[in-house]
Amino acid sequence: MERNQMHRQVSVMRQSLFDQGYLDEQFIQLEELQDDANPNFVEEVVTLYYRDSSRLILSIDQALERNPLDFNKLDTYMHQFKGSSTSIGAKKVKAECTQFREYCKVGNGEGCMRTFQQAKKEYTILKRKLEAYFQARQSGPSETACRPRN
Amino acid sequence: MAPAIEGMVPAIESSEGNNKMNKGYQYPSWKKKLRGLVVDNEELCRIVEKGIMGLCGVETQAVETGEAAVELIASGATFDIIVIDRFLPSMTGPETARKMREMGVESKIIGLFALYFEGDEEEFVAAGVDDFKEKPLSPNWLVPMLRELDN
Repeated sequence: MERNQMHRQVSVMRQSLFDQGYLDEQFIQLEELQDDANPNFVEEVVTLYYRDSSRLILSIDQALERNPLDFNKLDTYMHQFKGSSTSIGAKKVKAECTQFREYCKVGNGEGCMRTFQQAKKEYTILKRKLEAYFQARQSGPSETACRPRN
Repeated sequence: MAPAIEGMVPAIESSEGNNKMNKGYQYPSWKKKLRGLVVDNEELCRIVEKGIMGLCGVETQAVETGEAAVELIASGATFDIIVIDRFLPSMTGPETARKMREMGVESKIIGLFALYFEGDEEEFVAAGVDDFKEKPLSPNWLVPMLRELDN
């Protein structure tokens, strides 16, 4: 009974990430790539995202402190950040990146800064939610139990 | 369970290709052995794009730079489909595509972008790409393209 409850809880957590707009169908693509040979593929990819993006975020923060702003550089960084966020299906983060680009296009530094604060907020919220999800998934028995191939 | 992707056929027994049975979806297997190349400076993007190409039955390599891609082709490697990111560190995406065409590469070349910049599409198209698409690389548009290549 407990096992089923855990399983259901993990399922509900996962579904809410989609329902609340944190993740899009790209995340499902990542799940498709998970198998016996790569049982933790999604978690590994998400870990890589947070590791690499943290450096990028620092670079963007530093670039936003410059005066005058180098919008070309900001665009390049944001392209990378959006690319990575897209790869894991981070829907809200992606949306903020797109908004950032709009402000960059018209040279609106204030808009860029505001949007980037929001992007970082969404990024952090998603991180916490995914960490909780992966933890719950690991602690309970999973649907696709990994059995080594004979 | 209905196939996730339009035009997907029901599961068929096949030893060919790189198809996987996963959660009820049957990704296609192809008559030919399809080979792909991903050119992207971001490790995460390379991993994911290579994985998705693989899911779609394409044996895929991934490189970080335009130079590495060109070198691979110069060494004799051939590909059916090449996806190139818009932002590469030194040799740009369009420059890479142009060089490949100059080298006689006739593969399908797709320019990929995460953020849209004015002039990018024109630059890529002028360089000889077949298409210019927004990330993520998706089976929804990849599979029909591969089906064409397979025929």
